[in-house]
Amino acid sequence: MALRQWMVTHEWMVKPTPQTEWILRRGVLVWIAEVFTSLGAGLYLVSIFFNNWWGMLAAWLIIVFLKLPLHIMYFGKPLRFWRTVPPFSHAWKTSWFTRGILFSILFSGLVFIQLIITYFFPGTGWDIALKVSGGISSFLLSIYSGFIMSYCRSVPFWNSAMLPLILIFAGVADGFALLIGIGMVDASVDIAAVEFGSRMMLIINIILIIVYLWNATYTSKTARYSTVLLLRGSLALPFWLGVVASGVILPLAISASSYFTGEASALLLIIAIALHTLGAVALKYVLLKAGIHNPILPVTTSAYH
Amino acid sequence: MKWGMVVDLSKCMRCHACVAACRLEHFLPLGVTWCRLIAWEETAEELTTYPVRCNHCKEPPCVYVCPTGASQKREEDGIVWVDQDKCVGCRYCTIACPYQNRTFVSRDKDTGYFPGYELTDFEKAGRRLYPHTVGTNEKCNFCMERIDAGLAGGLKPGTDREATPACVNTCPARALTFGDLDDPDSQVRKLIRESKGFQLHPEYDTDPSTYYIDKGYRGV
Repeated sequence: MALRQWMVTHEWMVKPTPQTEWILRRGVLVWIAEVFTSLGAGLYLVSIFFNNWWGMLAAWLIIVFLKLPLHIMYFGKPLRFWRTVPPFSHAWKTSWFTRGILFSILFSGLVFIQLIITYFFPGTGWDIALKVSGGISSFLLSIYSGFIMSYCRSVPFWNSAMLPLILIFAGVADGFALLIGIGMVDASVDIAAVEFGSRMMLIINIILIIVYLWNATYTSKTARYSTVLLLRGSLALPFWLGVVASGVILPLAISASSYFTGEASALLLIIAIALHTLGAVALKYVLLKAGIHNPILPVTTSAYH
Repeated sequence: MKWGMVVDLSKCMRCHACVAACRLEHFLPLGVTWCRLIAWEETAEELTTYPVRCNHCKEPPCVYVCPTGASQKREEDGIVWVDQDKCVGCRYCTIACPYQNRTFVSRDKDTGYFPGYELTDFEKAGRRLYPHTVGTNEKCNFCMERIDAGLAGGLKPGTDREATPACVNTCPARALTFGDLDDPDSQVRKLIRESKGFQLHPEYDTDPSTYYIDKGYRGV
């Protein structure tokens, strides 16, 4: 059946066509890698804000041992990975992909040194300088995927300046959730403060997602089609159940309840973290799955006019 | 010099000869198609067919996004091609191409024309003469090997068959014309000028080198 699909040339791109390369078959690796990008970079940003060494270590481990290997495994020729890295490639001048790889390597190296310095020489000038550098590299790491996707003009749902913002704020919200988890075993974490941050980020995420979808409804017919798929089409279940309910509403409700009742119970916190992480997985899934190319036709034929 | 192609939609008779010629010329694996013929129903009675292939854009997004520089544009003639020895198979170009004219060669697209049976002599010859690397991306290259060999032999692409892309040579309706877009006296330039040639999705600012003319519908 799939082979027939490749051989049928006349049905190619005459309708809005979903991108499949980054979500189907081996593309699943890209999806999961993007989840880890969001979790790792977001956790690092939140951890340096709260000065939590274990959070920083967990973020580094996520990026180095989960995100990077998955991305490399996705390549058709993984052993040629070195070709994407300067000085073997000069593509960083134009390609967000190469920039992303550069940011990942920068993050991996800088944060490795920073973790050692922070552990043995906390509060020194080097410690602060490396934390600032690590923070900048994790910020770049969390935002580059958005630029990779928004660069694609023929995918109008992605081709929005808001997409990098959505991804970075979603990443920071993921970071808050994971730091709550670390706080359950590390007494130095101020859970109430982290929960407050988490509440704020979840509210910002709700606003950003609403504005993003609203904007997509009038950008183009194809972007509107992507939005319809999310809201009431084939992606409605992962969107409403995964992104909205599991990723935002339920964690926000748990977090809000603790605002009124004092600190939430450990069980509730674990549920909130699990739901939030599920939301992060669902968000990347629906964003990649809703990437739909404009059809090649109709074009400027007289009949079209 | 900038090579380009003009497709006369009113002449195309949907014979798929260009698709077959391309497949033969480059020994394309079964699941890989560089040249396509897509159809659009303008009305219930009217079917428009568009032969499509890589547009060899002047501002090619595939080249700009490629992380290794495997996708390249030749400055001397504007041909966009993929160096399969450099491609890592990240497929960013496949997604970034607004015309979706790139194919990722996966193992299941290269199973042979008779899966489960031995390769034919034609396929065996193809694997020696024109290898397609599994795990990389590829696309139409305007038969640049023919153009280069032809130019080296003093031939003129678009005029001499040996230096002209296979699809153009084989089109029985002469719907395809190939030539130098930078030469104001070339056949392609004349056709674009006289028949109001248009590009696919000019709003993407990619400036494709493939133009379409639509004499039938415009009454030219």
